[in-house]
Amino acid sequence: MSSRTESKANGLSPHGAKSYVDLIWRVAKARPRFVVGYVIVIAVIGAGLFAPFIAPYSPISADPSRVLQPPSLSFPLGTDAVGMDIFSRTLYAPRVDLTIAIAATLISATIGSLLGALVGYYGGGQGIRSWLGAAVMRVADVVQAFPVFVLAIALVASLGQSLGTVIAAIAFVNIPIYLRLMRSQVLSIRGARFVEAAQVGGLSDWSIIIRHVIPNAMSSVLAQLSVNIGWAVLLTAGLSFVGAGVRAPTPEWGSMIAMGFQDLVTGYWWPSLCPGLALSITVFGFALVGASVEVLADPVKRRALVSELAPRASRGPVVKSELSA
Amino acid sequence: MSIFAYIGRRLLLILPQIVGIVLVSFMLVKTIPGDPAVLMLGPTANPESLAALRKEMGLNESIPMQFWIYLKNLSKGDLGTSWQTTRPVLEDLLTRFPATLELVSFGLLTAILIGLPLGLVSAFRPRSWLARVADFYSLATGSLPDFWLALVLIYVFYTLLGVAPAPLGRLDMAILPPTQITGFYTLDSLFAGDWEAFKASVSHLVLPVLALGLINAGPIFKMTQSTVERMLQSDFSRYEMLCGMPHGLVLRHALRNSLPSILTIISVLYGFLIGGAVLIEIVFSWGGAGQYAVQGVLNSDLYPVLGFVLFSAIFSLFVYLIVDLIYFAIDPRLSH
Amino acid sequence: MNAIVSSEMLVPAQSVAPALSVRDLRVEFPTAMGAPTVAIKNLSFDIEPGTILGLVGESGAGKTTLARSILNLPPMPGRITNGEVWFEGTDLRRLPEEEQRERRGRDLSIVVPNPRGELNPLITVGDQIATRAQVHLRIDKKAAQARALEMLQKVQIPDPKRRMNAYAHELSGGMAQRVVIAMSLVCSPRFVISDDATSGLDVTVQAQILKLMRDLAFEQQSAMLFITRDVGITAHFCDRVAVMYSGEIMEIASREDLFLDPQHPYTVMLMAAFSHNAKLRSQWRAPDESRENATPSVGCSYASRCPKAQSICHVEHPELLERRPGHVVRCHFPVERT
Repeated sequence: MSSRTESKANGLSPHGAKSYVDLIWRVAKARPRFVVGYVIVIAVIGAGLFAPFIAPYSPISADPSRVLQPPSLSFPLGTDAVGMDIFSRTLYAPRVDLTIAIAATLISATIGSLLGALVGYYGGGQGIRSWLGAAVMRVADVVQAFPVFVLAIALVASLGQSLGTVIAAIAFVNIPIYLRLMRSQVLSIRGARFVEAAQVGGLSDWSIIIRHVIPNAMSSVLAQLSVNIGWAVLLTAGLSFVGAGVRAPTPEWGSMIAMGFQDLVTGYWWPSLCPGLALSITVFGFALVGASVEVLADPVKRRALVSELAPRASRGPVVKSELSA
Repeated sequence: MSIFAYIGRRLLLILPQIVGIVLVSFMLVKTIPGDPAVLMLGPTANPESLAALRKEMGLNESIPMQFWIYLKNLSKGDLGTSWQTTRPVLEDLLTRFPATLELVSFGLLTAILIGLPLGLVSAFRPRSWLARVADFYSLATGSLPDFWLALVLIYVFYTLLGVAPAPLGRLDMAILPPTQITGFYTLDSLFAGDWEAFKASVSHLVLPVLALGLINAGPIFKMTQSTVERMLQSDFSRYEMLCGMPHGLVLRHALRNSLPSILTIISVLYGFLIGGAVLIEIVFSWGGAGQYAVQGVLNSDLYPVLGFVLFSAIFSLFVYLIVDLIYFAIDPRLSH
Repeated sequence: MNAIVSSEMLVPAQSVAPALSVRDLRVEFPTAMGAPTVAIKNLSFDIEPGTILGLVGESGAGKTTLARSILNLPPMPGRITNGEVWFEGTDLRRLPEEEQRERRGRDLSIVVPNPRGELNPLITVGDQIATRAQVHLRIDKKAAQARALEMLQKVQIPDPKRRMNAYAHELSGGMAQRVVIAMSLVCSPRFVISDDATSGLDVTVQAQILKLMRDLAFEQQSAMLFITRDVGITAHFCDRVAVMYSGEIMEIASREDLFLDPQHPYTVMLMAAFSHNAKLRSQWRAPDESRENATPSVGCSYASRCPKAQSICHVEHPELLERRPGHVVRCHFPVERT
């Protein structure tokens, strides 16, 4: 492919704001799932932020006379075994779940990426830095060999159960992911010409890392972030489910599911299934957002998306299009 | 180098890796609050017996010394005792680990049976409706909490429809487990010719295996689809097309070149699920090793936790070794 | 007398029908916004059976796009939006896909420039050649293996029996190139495209490979399209030479005519770059590297780089005209022989 056509077909280079909006609109039409993802995430964040204004009841007020009532107009999602309104609690839950998940993900991404960049940059040579890098990788191996869930619970147990320790535990188990990701990106970029040029030009190692290496490796880290947040929410819920996470009566989807567990088997489905559904939809939204970042941040995938946006001219026969319906 | 030399080298490396893992878990576990002696003897025990027990368990020594004692016992096959079950941890694990293994193995198999074909179809026909559905499926199931899906399945198939057995373990109350050969109730009952036990074990496996399989099919699907698609777009695939090779051949070659990545994800999942099926084990009262470990952590019963970490680490390392050997068989570039 | 030549008259009338005839080929690459990039614009040329047409162009001219478009498999995400590719009387693009596939590899084949990257890494080279023979010639496995061995011997690979079981990564660049040539010729195709097949090889190896290809082509009486960036190679090797720039043919002539009497300024510049005459070189040096500018949509696409460009060149697109018998040029002011 000629270099000129390469640069043209590659980018989403907007010529002016109007065409930028037009481009977003076309992308949205081609990939409605991305739109769904962003809508869900915004809705969930909004629910958490505005819960005090939207929720009909307080999330921790229990009314023993209204125990295990099925969904109705006054209790849209029913009440649980101690008489708390499930709808209100579901709306308040993002405050806990998302706070933990976002905080933990950001912490692990920052620490992991920084470590990974350092290890990748200095690795493979001689000297104490490279040795340290190898040691860090071995430690990461060990951490990753641990059963994740058991490790998280153990961390919470040893540090004492609180919001902060749950965040710390989740952050800790996620660090190796970013460590490896960043390291492999940096390793492949390190050999690139422009890094060589910067070194020859006399830039210090540190500024090379910050100014050149990290920006180029960012795209895969960014794609990982959103998906990771979703996964952190699942882990929080799992921890709370076994009692090692957020404690009742703080509204949190996992602990709500746990509270409804026994009753579900006897037919009261709403205390467990409703918060679980909200949880699933939330994680789904973050997964979709992550998928959109993955496509838009990666030049190859972006190009593939762009070629779909083009008007339907005759396509050259490729294995794919021959076989497609 | 010859294959035996390679295996030998890997086995040698496994040992320090395991020691490392045990060391880290030992340190971690020791930070969990709770006095084991008190837990074992109960709050009403008199101080003399407490002191005696502490001395016997070596709790007065320094941490490195305690670790050394633990290693020594380990080499003798003594993994400590659980104060909850009052039995040696090794014994507990030998019944529980196969339970987890059986659950996870069938679950993974189900996941492969769902995920692999979906991935292949999506890679061969990327614009078909099936590919879109598969995409949605993997995103959706990846968002589900496994314990919640298990609850949904229980509600639908047990509470509403009544076709599944109650989520209370691996067998019905009235049925005795078959003589243990592998620890897998399904296999052992077949070996023993015990038809009742076989039916019971299978029917109890259905829901948890389904829950595991549905959720873990997603990563397998994604890896298969993305790898096969990448192979089809690679230089050598396009060259084969330029040479006029028939589609079937091009697809077969692309698949073969994708095998290493697919095997990798399967092996990673296998190792992960040993500890990752914990919540399913808890929901179904499975009596598995993960559940055992979690109960250990929550109740400051430390030896079960260590024992479980040890078992699962050894298992993972062996799975990785086997997968690497398969790579050798497939990819000629590696033997150089 | 200059006459506007219709596409059928590009080559002086011959009694032999051309082996390959490309007509008005147009290949586009879609972009995010605005019009698609046109990589190949209305390209036409003929190749007689048994002859070698050289195609010279710099990187970005569209050579690989052309090579693959002839086989109706343009590099992704390109699309052929117009044109015909006539091979032995049939328009390849109109054939059903199954028949196109049959012809690829058997009647038309391509030699690619990065052999180790394009061979399947997991299958022995012997098997790859044999499979090709098996599929296209419909012979059994044993016969195919024998034929593969025969081809390896023909391309003068040392120790061919052992190399049958080698993998792509075990071969040096030159050997891998020979393997690819063997693969492309195993079915005795009547048309071969060599896409920059010798770039990246050592000069001595290059010379050997070129001789090899020429001999084999002659032996099988195939027509060949020889694509290269190096105009000098074509002098020893091709019967006719075409010069390509920015997706268009700028000049086609017989080898002698092109080298002795180049008419298009771009051709002259290509020749001058190697010339010993310093004055010539300075006269024909390209203006500064502003070639990353978008290709103008009006006028001659070479105008922005042409030292002889005049105002009409930026406005009116020149047609391909036959200036001398058998010699066509696309230029308003072709260079006259001094």
